[in-house]
Amino acid sequence: MSTARVVRVPEAETPSGFYAAAEKIYPREIRGRFSRLRQGAVVLLLGLFYGIAWLQWNGRQALLFDLPARKFHVFGLTLWPQDFLYLALLLIIAALSLFFFTALAGRLWCGYACPQTVWTELYTWIEQWTEGPRSRRMKLDRGPWTLQKLWRKGLKQLLWLALAAYTGFTFVGYFTPIRTLGTQIASLTLGPWASFWIFLYSLATYGNAGFLREQVCKYMCPYARFQSAMFDKNTLIISYDQARGEPRGARRRGSAPRPQGLGDCIDCTLCVQVCPTGIDIRQGLQYECIACGACIDACDDVMDKMGTPRGLIRYTTEHAVHGTATHVLRVRILVYAALLITIAGALVYSLATRTPLILDVIRDRNALYREVAGERIENAYTLKVINLDERPHSYRLAASGIVQLTVMAPTGLITAPPGAVSALPARLQAPAGAAAGVHRIVLTLSAVDAPRIVVHENARFIGPTP
Amino acid sequence: MSPAPEPSPASRWRERSLDVALVLWPAFLAACAASLLFFAAVDPVLLRDAGPHWLAGLDREAGYALGFFFFWGVGAIASSLSVYLIRTGHRTAGGAPPAAS
Repeated sequence: MSTARVVRVPEAETPSGFYAAAEKIYPREIRGRFSRLRQGAVVLLLGLFYGIAWLQWNGRQALLFDLPARKFHVFGLTLWPQDFLYLALLLIIAALSLFFFTALAGRLWCGYACPQTVWTELYTWIEQWTEGPRSRRMKLDRGPWTLQKLWRKGLKQLLWLALAAYTGFTFVGYFTPIRTLGTQIASLTLGPWASFWIFLYSLATYGNAGFLREQVCKYMCPYARFQSAMFDKNTLIISYDQARGEPRGARRRGSAPRPQGLGDCIDCTLCVQVCPTGIDIRQGLQYECIACGACIDACDDVMDKMGTPRGLIRYTTEHAVHGTATHVLRVRILVYAALLITIAGALVYSLATRTPLILDVIRDRNALYREVAGERIENAYTLKVINLDERPHSYRLAASGIVQLTVMAPTGLITAPPGAVSALPARLQAPAGAAAGVHRIVLTLSAVDAPRIVVHENARFIGPTP
Repeated sequence: MSPAPEPSPASRWRERSLDVALVLWPAFLAACAASLLFFAAVDPVLLRDAGPHWLAGLDREAGYALGFFFFWGVGAIASSLSVYLIRTGHRTAGGAPPAAS
């Protein structure tokens, strides 16, 4: 048998039998380092998902993307559609993080954090709890419909559906207040759209985690197809050590493989049985591999029992497999990291210095200027005031840039309700002697009830040509 | 070269249903992105007020849902044309479309 690494690429399509028939995969249950890691991730991530929805902050939901009211509450912060930049930055950061961690350690996202993996894991736990371990599940599926089978399958479906419904409810609870949603469901007064979205997301959870499972990764996920673009020979991958394992073959426990002309692999196929996507890692790196590490746990267990060292299947890099040095710091990693730090820094800085007030100044287009009594020149503007805070504020307008520049209107307080865009006319006057030509002036809007909220906006003041 | 064997009804059905998935799924992803960008900039209530009279009476949630399904539909038309063109085009030498490698 050749020891060359076989790298399988997505199979070329053939006219008939476009896709391989998806055979049901019965992943074998497994205990080990990486399974514990993933279980920890599942508990943590689902705990956050189901828990944060109920967290309160200053008397309202802490994290609420309130689409009906068009405002986002993120703990102490309220964001309006005008703050879209932050959302865009956040999405860019998410994408860059994915690139960074993929280049560094391969498909960490797929194996531990992807909702598809996390909910599939939860659904598999339910399946194992109701239908038993792999062999029992296979036997149950082959066997006739007995009362026992009906009971086990029924219980599984019931639990799956209940979990799906609660997941849909929680998901929609991030977009409309979850407590209100809960009371509406309890009193059967839920609106049609909320019901529809809850139903849709429940259906998606049930279908994706209960039935589609690995097919989502194999057929639907775009990331699975292009993640290899982030890979290089220094990226952590899960790999079977061909040189050590081959030729594979069965042998007695504790017997040395080499004298028998064998490698360390005893061909027990446990690595295949535990694989949630049903591949054989011994065929080399495959795009179906979500890097969950189940095969490592299975193989380590077997190697322990056989008395051979662990790591026949292990996290390694292509360089390490070929006996050359692996470099963690490399151009790709440094570029991703630099971009990530820069954009995350920009987001933090702009959030920290964010003033919940926007002032736009638009010059009146009808007249350049107006001469008014008392040797004065007047310019007219339209102010757009957007209060981005959670509560109403009163503001005062001031202007500077020319000596004796005065605000004629609005002289009183400008009040703006939260989230509202108010447009109001403004008039400024300056003495004719000082106003000749074009001047750059600064309009300052400051909240009288919150000294922190001050914005400055540049504008032009035009007087007669000197 | 012998002609390809007639596909069985089961495999044809599987291919069709996967075609439907290939149309709807990317369109769904695109609709999510399009709705996010579009409704970040545009309030559906303003669209309703500027639009034809039969839109009156719809609330914001209905606006989001209609917008989402509109984008999904447009995306599905584009995807289905792509799938149709791929399925009906001449195959490259070797009998298969260029394989990704």
